[in-house]
Amino acid sequence: MAIFEPSKADASPLMEIEDLVIRFPIRKGGKRAFITPVDHVSFSLRESEVLSIVGESGSGKSTIGRTLVRVNVPSHGRVLYQGRDVSHIKGAELRLYRSAIQMIFQDPFGSLNPVRTVEQHLTFPLRKYEQVTGDKLSARIDELLGRVGLTPVRETRSKYPHELSGGQRQRVAIARALAVGPRVLVADEPISMLDVSIRAGILELMNELKRDFRISFLYITHDLASARYFGDRILVLYGGRVMELAPSSELIRNPLHPYTRLLLAASPGNPSRGPLPETSNSAPNLLEGRRGCPFADRCPLVTDVCRDEVPDLVDHGTSQLRHFVACHHA
Amino acid sequence: MPEHTPVLELSHVSVAYRTAAGPVQAVNDVSLVVMPNEIVGLVGESGSGKSTMAYAIMRLLRGNAYVSGGSIRVLGRDVYAMGRQELRKFRWRHMSMVFQSAMSALNPVITVETQLVDTLRSHLPNMSVSEAKDRAANLLELVRIDPVNLKSYPHQLSGGMRQRVVIAIAIALEPELVIMDEPTTALDVVVQRSILDRLQEIQADKRFSVLFISHDFSLVSELSSRMAIMYAGRIVEEAPASSLSSIEGHHPYTEGLLRAIPKLTADEITIKGIKGHPPDLVDLPVGCAFHPRCPRAYEPCRLFRPEILATESGRVECHLFAEKEVL
Repeated sequence: MAIFEPSKADASPLMEIEDLVIRFPIRKGGKRAFITPVDHVSFSLRESEVLSIVGESGSGKSTIGRTLVRVNVPSHGRVLYQGRDVSHIKGAELRLYRSAIQMIFQDPFGSLNPVRTVEQHLTFPLRKYEQVTGDKLSARIDELLGRVGLTPVRETRSKYPHELSGGQRQRVAIARALAVGPRVLVADEPISMLDVSIRAGILELMNELKRDFRISFLYITHDLASARYFGDRILVLYGGRVMELAPSSELIRNPLHPYTRLLLAASPGNPSRGPLPETSNSAPNLLEGRRGCPFADRCPLVTDVCRDEVPDLVDHGTSQLRHFVACHHA
Repeated sequence: MPEHTPVLELSHVSVAYRTAAGPVQAVNDVSLVVMPNEIVGLVGESGSGKSTMAYAIMRLLRGNAYVSGGSIRVLGRDVYAMGRQELRKFRWRHMSMVFQSAMSALNPVITVETQLVDTLRSHLPNMSVSEAKDRAANLLELVRIDPVNLKSYPHQLSGGMRQRVVIAIAIALEPELVIMDEPTTALDVVVQRSILDRLQEIQADKRFSVLFISHDFSLVSELSSRMAIMYAGRIVEEAPASSLSSIEGHHPYTEGLLRAIPKLTADEITIKGIKGHPPDLVDLPVGCAFHPRCPRAYEPCRLFRPEILATESGRVECHLFAEKEVL
């Protein structure tokens, strides 16, 4: 059990993702080919830090999240947790790792079992991972439900998912993730299916978990406003590659990558937005062996070098304020 | 069409669903007017009745849903007083609708061109096939799709392109009223923006009216001139979109929504949700339906349904505003 102890408050990151590549086989014209939805991505996550990953559909953001919880296995590169490579661990080791990192899904209707009560949803992980039984188990369930704001606890325990609202269901999913005492939560669009009036409550809850339990979050979203609100840093992903990575306010105030600027110009609620640059809306090419910057086809600043060479992720910030951009023209 | 005749006039409209437990009111006594050349936003959460409202206007309610009261007039004509043939000719020629799911609105086994040509020719029988094909190509250009895609089937197009085709079909006959029910919700933000920018340009050019239905407050307020906010089947507030840039002075539900949305650029980024969750329509709270969630609810809210009160620039359904007038 000693391997995955909660980390001391040191400066070294809790998780490091190094040069991560995910390949999936596809059929193209009857032949086997590969796409790379995640293409040489590196980042780190500190304790009690929220890293927002922003991108549109097909950017690879969910694939990264799923790789962190080891639903996907890296094709290349490493995932380090507390300095240990967890990319290929199996069996008991993997189970232990999963008590340190848990996932919250977008659809709380799909992620809960319709024929199980709330209590049953929480009993399973507590028994399996924490070996809690009897009165202790019951007390833990009450504690978890109270923590996520599902009160009165007595009433909630015996309810089935269909008897709960979307927001309450998402709270059950969060309680279930918390049951095993994780250090990292991967939250994949946890609020995008919820009503507007409910979303803020879930964001507030996640903020409390970050503050009170020092849990780190990988917050996956397509919405820049909530990414900025919840995230300490924002990572902008396009076509499986990191375009820009900076502290949230810095990224919104001073976007350096043309794709980030495009996203900002397109986001609702941006009073200073100008007209959208004339670009195509084509989806990025994810085929293995593509050349150049994945955004080149849509980029208003594109030049020949963009189509030939992949730009490196370079720090354009200061030592206090690191601001990484992958663009030949930044 | 004289400028002062409303394109759409909803007067005390109620829509109910027949259920085993008796009728459930999904839309409850809703009145709303849309004038020519105007974009009106209708905002609400799931279950607020906004989509039911759209289907009721188009007379497309199916199954156990029915209009239980009030009248719906489009261009001054009662939609529910028309005969079948009359309605068939009227619909799409004068009012059309853009549905949320483009994939299910388009026929998967017919090319884009045929779908556009069929739409045109079924309403304009004098139009020749070649004329209709020319027009179809123009329509695609209008929504910024290369006409080479005319021969494509829906599955060959991206989600954004499919939704553009659906918009092209909706405006094909130049109707006076286009109802859009969450037309871009399923799309990526950049695609959404470019479609809506184009929609605004086309609207400014063709001068049709739009009832734009969405759950996305900031999106609707940028697009429309006037907004109606629905809660539990009722319009609780109607106000100019510009007034929603300030949080104060609105229905408590509207204020709650405004506080619940993280702002992209503002310095102040604390947000606050509305406690509780939207009510079950089968079991609506007595009095004002919002009172169990309202931070400012007091005695009358729990007992009586509030009256509709005119404000400076719109109307609001809230006891707090009645109080103000007395004072």
